Amino acid sequence: MSDTLTLMALFHGGTDTAEAIDALHALGIPDEKMVVITGVPYPEGALGRHREWLTLPYIVLAGAAGGLLFGLFLSAITPHLYRLDVGGHPPVGFPPTAIIIFVFTMMATIVSTFLGVLWEMNFPRFGPAPYHRLVTDGHLAVLLEYPAELEASVRQTLEARHAHHVGEPERVAL
Amino acid sequence: MSEPDRSTLHAPRSTPFDERLLLAERTDQEINQAVLQPMIQTGRGFWALVTVLGAIVAWGLYAWGYLVYWGIGVTGKNRPVYWTLFITTFVFWVGISHAGTMISAVLRIFKADWRRPITRGAEAMTAFALMMAGLYPLIHLGRVWKFYWMIPYPNNRLMWPNFQSPLMWDLVAIFTYLIGSTLYLYLALIPDMAMARDHTAGWRYRLYRALALGWRGTEAEWHKLHRALGIFSVAIIPIFLSVHSIVSWDFAVTIQPRWHSTIFAPYFVIGAVYSGLAALASILVIVRRGMRLQEFLRAEHFDALGKLVLVAGMAWTYFWFSGFIVEWYGNEPVVRELIRQEVAGNLAPLFYLQMSANLTPIGLLVFKRVRTTPALLLAATLLVNVGMYTERALIVIGSLQRNHLPFNWGLYRPTWVEVSIVAMTFAGFTLLYTLFSRIIPFVPVWEIKEGRLRYTLRRIGRLLVPTAAEIE
Repeated sequence: MSDTLTLMALFHGGTDTAEAIDALHALGIPDEKMVVITGVPYPEGALGRHREWLTLPYIVLAGAAGGLLFGLFLSAITPHLYRLDVGGHPPVGFPPTAIIIFVFTMMATIVSTFLGVLWEMNFPRFGPAPYHRLVTDGHLAVLLEYPAELEASVRQTLEARHAHHVGEPERVAL
Repeated sequence: MSEPDRSTLHAPRSTPFDERLLLAERTDQEINQAVLQPMIQTGRGFWALVTVLGAIVAWGLYAWGYLVYWGIGVTGKNRPVYWTLFITTFVFWVGISHAGTMISAVLRIFKADWRRPITRGAEAMTAFALMMAGLYPLIHLGRVWKFYWMIPYPNNRLMWPNFQSPLMWDLVAIFTYLIGSTLYLYLALIPDMAMARDHTAGWRYRLYRALALGWRGTEAEWHKLHRALGIFSVAIIPIFLSVHSIVSWDFAVTIQPRWHSTIFAPYFVIGAVYSGLAALASILVIVRRGMRLQEFLRAEHFDALGKLVLVAGMAWTYFWFSGFIVEWYGNEPVVRELIRQEVAGNLAPLFYLQMSANLTPIGLLVFKRVRTTPALLLAATLLVNVGMYTERALIVIGSLQRNHLPFNWGLYRPTWVEVSIVAMTFAGFTLLYTLFSRIIPFVPVWEIKEGRLRYTLRRIGRLLVPTAAEIE
């Protein structure tokens, strides 16, 4: 028999959920052993949980720098690769170069934001995962992993905060 | 944050916030169903509309094929009017695309709560308008198969495309905006795809499951999504400003009279915002009725949108006059001739149509009754886009009829090919939008629920006052 158990409980409201999370913390279950699943984004701190550090801004900055360099290459380097002098004009002018560099920088910023957030969320991820379809109907799900000896007190704590559908999580094909 | 106290939401029907109360009393499940049901139930009217639009698109494709087969000579293009209805309509569609970013990104940054039900409709409008705009450079090429010459890679002589040319600025700017607006639309769509996945079966389930990418709604996922949308909102604003500026520079960097103007970039941008916001209001009125979304798209939203159209209209008037007075006072011979053509010559019908169709809605939208009555708002905003299309025609076609070489002056008459292709893009846009509204939740459900979570009614004396928590 495993030393740890996994359980999912649903709640009707954020207040009950936050109180249950506090009580589970008091039982010695750390934040990283709990996942809260909601159909609505709750504000930071509303459910008494810590936010994780994101690398997304750095991915975006790296993408923007890459776009800038690519734009610089296209607008300032490629005219020299096959030079055509026209009517005394310089092969590279600053205003058109600035436009191209700007646009490619912004394009890379946008694309790297999109790819970066998918990478951070580990998407796409279509396999079966612990989930409950009532989440998108407004229920809040708390998925937790805890030592087997806490089984009784965990269930008692959850039911005291009006949890329902308490039990082993269903693995839904997402 | 405490949840809304439902006991305070039961106000007498006569309070000004009746409409807000309707949604506040709904459960999440009811909101899901209210959005999903109109998508799934399609009547005869829907299929009749799709058939008519499909037929117009098919006719337009035939006209495009005719143009490709016989050459660009089947259009009304001539010397000196080498940019015609195609470029006019291109500029118009780029302009229409601007409201999506305006509504979604700018209002998201300013935390304007009324944006929530209309963001998706606005973002979709941006994406589809840009798709239509993107067709015109291809159509305008005539030999469309030569398009790949603009893709940035060297030919067999190692010669690269000329990035010093406005044509390339245009290509990369519009492509960037199309990518950005499509990704922005999709990113904010993922949680609603999961909602739709959880409530549908069959092909819809398979589609929504694929588009949801495995979304569950964990705190971490919401946090990352919010951060990404925040970055998008900031990054896409300079893109949206640059796109129409670059389109304006297609004109302004030439020495064509009336085009060679430093005010063109901001003038184009504000015109785009004016026409885009007006188009959004028109579309929302139509979709609201067609999909029975009265509970989501309410008078308060139309009132706020109407005010934005009004402000954009006044700003457009200011920019138009700023450009006009300098041209008029400068009294350059060709510009004087163009102004004479507009005021009393062959361009006069278009000029007076432009001015009346752009200025009348400003006078109408001052009244709250016009802003909050769907039929009146629809009439006013449709009029704006008649005016803005005419304005584009005057800039592109009108200006080209006169230039510095009087022996080279000329007139332009569109042919059936051009009219058919232009009709194709209007029908294509409407068709895409119609299909989109039946496949994708038109109202961003999670954003509405988020707004409802943050919003409550507080009693102050005899009034119930809406209040929102200032939280991220």
